[in-house]
Amino acid sequence: MEIGNELCLPKEIVFGKEGFDIFATFIVKGFDTMEQSVHEGPQVECTHIRRIDSDANETHSDSHLNYVPCFFGLLILGFLVEIFGPNMDGHPAISIQRLCAREFANLDASGAQSSSLPVISSTAVGKIQKLSGSHQVSMDRDFVKDPLVFHSNSISSNDDVIGSTTASHCTRANSSYSWPVDSLPGFHDFSGQNPVQSSQMQSNGSSADIMINEDLSKRNYWQEWADQLITDDETLNSNWNEFLVDVNVIDMGPKMSYQVSKPSSNLSNQEKHSQQQLSVMSAEVNAVVGPSSSAASAPTKLRMRWTPELHEAFVEAVKKLGGCEKATPKGVLKLMNVEGLTIYHVKSHLQKYRTARCRPESSEGPSDKKSTPLAELSSLDLKTGMDLTEALQLQMEVQKQLHEQLEIQRNLQLRIEEQGRYLQQMFDKQYKSGLNKLNDPSPTEPFAQTTDALCNLPPKNDPQVSPIQEEKAQQEPVPGKPASEENSEKSEWAANGPETKTTNDDDPPGIGPSNFQQSKHLKS
Amino acid sequence: MKFGKRLKQQMQDTLPEWRDNFLSYKELKQLIRFMSSTENGSIEYGKAEAEFVYLLNNEIEKFNAFFMEKEEDFIIRNKELQQRIQRVTETWGQKGTHPSETEYKQGMANIRNDMVNFHGEMVLLINYSNINYTGLAKILKKYDKRTGGLLRLPFIQKVLQQPFFTTDLISKLVKECESTIEEVFPAAVEEERKSMGSCEMTLVGEGIFRNTVAALLTMREIRSGSSTYSNFSLPPLSLAESEPVQSIPLNSPIPIL
Repeated sequence: MEIGNELCLPKEIVFGKEGFDIFATFIVKGFDTMEQSVHEGPQVECTHIRRIDSDANETHSDSHLNYVPCFFGLLILGFLVEIFGPNMDGHPAISIQRLCAREFANLDASGAQSSSLPVISSTAVGKIQKLSGSHQVSMDRDFVKDPLVFHSNSISSNDDVIGSTTASHCTRANSSYSWPVDSLPGFHDFSGQNPVQSSQMQSNGSSADIMINEDLSKRNYWQEWADQLITDDETLNSNWNEFLVDVNVIDMGPKMSYQVSKPSSNLSNQEKHSQQQLSVMSAEVNAVVGPSSSAASAPTKLRMRWTPELHEAFVEAVKKLGGCEKATPKGVLKLMNVEGLTIYHVKSHLQKYRTARCRPESSEGPSDKKSTPLAELSSLDLKTGMDLTEALQLQMEVQKQLHEQLEIQRNLQLRIEEQGRYLQQMFDKQYKSGLNKLNDPSPTEPFAQTTDALCNLPPKNDPQVSPIQEEKAQQEPVPGKPASEENSEKSEWAANGPETKTTNDDDPPGIGPSNFQQSKHLKS
Repeated sequence: MKFGKRLKQQMQDTLPEWRDNFLSYKELKQLIRFMSSTENGSIEYGKAEAEFVYLLNNEIEKFNAFFMEKEEDFIIRNKELQQRIQRVTETWGQKGTHPSETEYKQGMANIRNDMVNFHGEMVLLINYSNINYTGLAKILKKYDKRTGGLLRLPFIQKVLQQPFFTTDLISKLVKECESTIEEVFPAAVEEERKSMGSCEMTLVGEGIFRNTVAALLTMREIRSGSSTYSNFSLPPLSLAESEPVQSIPLNSPIPIL
């Protein structure tokens, strides 16, 4: 998809060798300070790191943590390029972008990988703008969280998963979800090819120093940088702790169904949920970074989509453990035994459950009434003398109406998009075949086929749609261009379309273009 | 009236804790304006473009987070209401352990009240989803138009898959809620209609009812005819004439409390 290319850094960012040295020392210095801070940091963090480092080299988690810093280095390179780039004009070329892209190209077999860094850069650019501007804290949370999301995603997914999703995602529209997955193969391969990399980088001078030094200090540097940005330091530290713990927890579970960047499969999983029995459940986890509003909220970077069935299992588990007060998140998690569910999900859900249950429970008696809506309703009473029942009935009516309209609107929107997509496919096909035909200037037939195909689109038999169809038919005459505004080429074709159709049509000429419009609308 | 204004209006009318979770339509529009005024290949243009996409993705994340949070709440509440009905019936109902007409009635009245509000909130959530989607579609259309980009189609396809747009579960819960209410609280419908038609009501406060009516009216206005009608536009809303909605004035000059 052209999107990725369009949005990547439009020019090569040229780095003078001088500039690169400055840049490198900057990073290295940062790493040094990071290293210091990590040793001063909270105990949990240190022990955790030590524990991992002391493991044998073969363990997944160990190598993963090493990858993390390495990739960070590249990330930071990309970020900082934006800062330093403009100052370095005119110097002999070490092109950062090429450098990074080349490394990526080496890391992964698929050529699509080289598009990942531009993708990263473009999303990073936006972030950097905010950062380098005035050290504003506005985007800080997202900024910090994204790499963390990226961490846990990259560490937990298997190679297979990545392999399958990478190709599809390099070509998708730019999204901040995609880059963690894209970069993952690079991750695994990177450390394996480290000697190769360093030799390659030797020729580029000080970049090698960066890569080698960054291993231990990278995450420290990141933390320090992030610390400067985040207003709520405690949250960040606790996030880090949780995250590091999370790494291991997640790593142990090989069968995670992490929906990193395939939104379509989210939907299918959701549907599966509603049909599955309790015994065959698997949790669907969205790698969505929710900007949590309260500092005290659980630091889950992965948002889970609950379903009624899951909730049933939850309630059962809580019941077995003796009620919502006595039940512990750990116990519930064990009892539920659902793959992909973490203790954080359970914790937050339990909290909600307690709030919902334990307050109204004590007020089951006749004296309790929820004050706000009732006050509102009783104010209606004062005015109109309507009794409560009637007010509620009216409220229900209005709500039902809104719901109905929303359903209709949503269906329409879906169909419109579906049709738009179909249209585009047809146009693309026709355009391509038009090109292939070697200057065959007969757009009429292909286009007539297109319109016929459209007319043959099986309309979904929706009783709600029929009044709308009539409404559309009564619309004012619409502008003559039926084409989507996507493509100028398409609009040319379309412009030809109705005219040719008019001449070829059996219908009275005056109705031609509008008829075309009508037929398309009727199908939507 | 323009969508931006409508969106603002809706945001004002909405439940207070929801206000920050709507689309930042204005910011996105400003970015587009900036982009169309600067040169296509310049650095500022590239930055603005990147920021636009970044902001879009952020918005989607925001919607997803809010939506899923609310969805979770609703799932819990749904179950709770069902259990409450059971409990009240078992304790104070005629065949229950402590049959008591007054207590039963009271308990049921509470439940009914809660259920109607629950229903309302769910519908408002669906409205939230819808209005943000509409906003996204519009802003993408603007983007493509002003900058000649091709962002709209693939992006909107992605949006269609997002959790905040896949409102099937909530819809299902709404329908279940409706049927439960009808079952448990059968009401005489014709009498209601008569009284509704003749009453003059003013709505006060920021409650659910008010928001629902506001949402309906906003929806109708948004769809009331577009200057840039195309295949991607929605037809005008068809509300039957005798709907009670039309007779409800939204803004009360005299606060009643």
